[in-house]
Amino acid sequence: MTTTQMNMVQAINDALRHEMRRDDRVVVLGEDVGKVGGVFRVTQGLWDEFGDDRVIDTPLSEGGIVGTAIGMALYGLVPVPEIQFADFIYPAYDQIVSELAKMRWRSGGEYTAKMVVRTPVGGGIRGGLYHSQSPESLFIHVAGLKVVCPSNPRDAKGLLLASIRDPDPVLFFEPKRIYRAAKGEVPEGEYTVEIGKASVVRPGEHVTVLAWGAMLYEAVAAADEARKQGVECEIVDLRTLWPVDVDTIVASVKKTGRLVVVHEAPKTCGFGAELVALVNERAFVHLEAPPVRVCGYDTPFPYTLEMDYLPLAHRILPAMLETARY
Amino acid sequence: MQSIASAPNAPLGALRDDGSLDPAHAGALTDELAVALYEHMVLARTVDERLVALQREGVIASHSSAVGEEAAIVGAAAAMLDDDWIFPSAREHAAALWRGMPLAAYAHHVFGTARDATLGHASGDPPFWRAARVASCSPLVGTQIPHAVGVAWAARTRKAAVAALVYFGDGATSSGDFHTGLNFAGVTRAPVVALCRNNGFAVSTPVARQSAPSGLAVKAVAYGLHGVRVDGTDVVAVLSVVRAARDRAVAGGGGTLVEAVIPAVERVDPVERLRRHLEARALWDAAREQRLVAEVAADVERALAEARAADKPAPDTIFDGVLASSTASAPHARAPR
Repeated sequence: MTTTQMNMVQAINDALRHEMRRDDRVVVLGEDVGKVGGVFRVTQGLWDEFGDDRVIDTPLSEGGIVGTAIGMALYGLVPVPEIQFADFIYPAYDQIVSELAKMRWRSGGEYTAKMVVRTPVGGGIRGGLYHSQSPESLFIHVAGLKVVCPSNPRDAKGLLLASIRDPDPVLFFEPKRIYRAAKGEVPEGEYTVEIGKASVVRPGEHVTVLAWGAMLYEAVAAADEARKQGVECEIVDLRTLWPVDVDTIVASVKKTGRLVVVHEAPKTCGFGAELVALVNERAFVHLEAPPVRVCGYDTPFPYTLEMDYLPLAHRILPAMLETARY
Repeated sequence: MQSIASAPNAPLGALRDDGSLDPAHAGALTDELAVALYEHMVLARTVDERLVALQREGVIASHSSAVGEEAAIVGAAAAMLDDDWIFPSAREHAAALWRGMPLAAYAHHVFGTARDATLGHASGDPPFWRAARVASCSPLVGTQIPHAVGVAWAARTRKAAVAALVYFGDGATSSGDFHTGLNFAGVTRAPVVALCRNNGFAVSTPVARQSAPSGLAVKAVAYGLHGVRVDGTDVVAVLSVVRAARDRAVAGGGGTLVEAVIPAVERVDPVERLRRHLEARALWDAAREQRLVAEVAADVERALAEARAADKPAPDTIFDGVLASSTASAPHARAPR
């Protein structure tokens, strides 16, 4: 298979272009997604190729973007709305939670509003309080949504193709800190990465580490240091947050007996809490140490001290070592 | 300096107090349609009265009655063409019935039986009818307005001659989704007819506590939409106004906010108003009235009795439809603990 070196932005753009050429029903809409190609340039060039009936600059209203996209989906289109930053998604929260997530269930499957809501998440880009948050657990908690967060260009394209073809609404979180920093070989044309399947990016026997998005690289960096001290970590990139690949997680913990979960969002009621609970329910007798969460603090996201807030490698390493030596 | 806001226009009407019809609207109403509208409004009234009674007896949990609003609801639904979409709010079950939802299907929905299309998931919420594009809506106020605009907008981009009708009450004009939806409608020139039933009250709150201007149609101006006030107890006027708005929108002339002004039913009864017209037109008499009332009452009673006695959905159906594949919906969704 021919591959091309791409970053995340290019890979997601490639996926959108591929799907829009393949399927006339696919439309992109959002704030500034048209001529300018989005504030991160993810939709660059799509307006020139597909025109303003399929690449639509909308009024500045997230609730309107998702609300009208629900109508478009009812009509039979496949909308891919962009919310400019995940921090801006709350005006659309009612439409996502009360309408989008419940359409299939409340209509006995007669109506669906299949769409992929793309939005950049996470910190580390000097975005400050309102351009850095990671709200994934607020959506995982709502029955009726799938939640995806890729960590590299190959997965980003393959997961986006799979998301657009999936029959359910998908929230597609794009870790903006690695939009251009994460580079890799991306296959040309057609392939998908299955929703609901995690990836063991590094096998190891001592500690299972669960991470996703930009924090995966911090977990890998910490694991490099841990290795120097004789601790081998098995790093699992969840890729899909919901439905989560509980089988891969549980199989890993049964092997290592130890668990570290890493995420940017605040610790309390973050997705780490659910992951630890799932492991406790299914692999309790295999655990050799209490599971550990290395997360953002239970505060709003800070501007100046963002690198103190984020669970970077220097905070993950002690958790790995203490867990291994418990 | 001149302000845009002004006293609202008097609502448009077509039916006169003596039962005659303004000749300007005569073309809108064939004999056959006049009788069909009347029969359907009687059905709507009967359903409401029975369900309100069942709610008061504690048999069903809730029912949002539309007594007195039959002309606005049925007239607007009748104005739309077969390919058009309809988005109800909490009180427009009569629109789904007009579009062909069988009374039995509605009764099963009300009681949340195993034969309810929602599997009992969403009984008490607005009924939908997929076969005739009556959409599934929640009872949350205003959220369906952007959906209607999205359908209409999509149809316009696909060059289809399709419009969307969306209903809501006067309280919804205070919601963010009303503003958002109508703003998108204006910007995109989506072929939408937004029908506001202004009965003066949202539950207990008077319209003066919702909105400062007297009259709600004036809000259309700020969105680049047409705004029309119509007598919401006059089914012929509603039919005529909504049809004109629908046709103009599909032709690319922009959407319309229709304010259907509806006084309390004790003051003006829309069903009686249409009956007076049918009588003036020699289409109706006491014998036909007696026969219709008896038939409708029997139909409604039979449908409700059957649904009331029907089986509940099986417990496992709680999980149906969370996601397309129920096994994928959650790793522990079906686990009993």
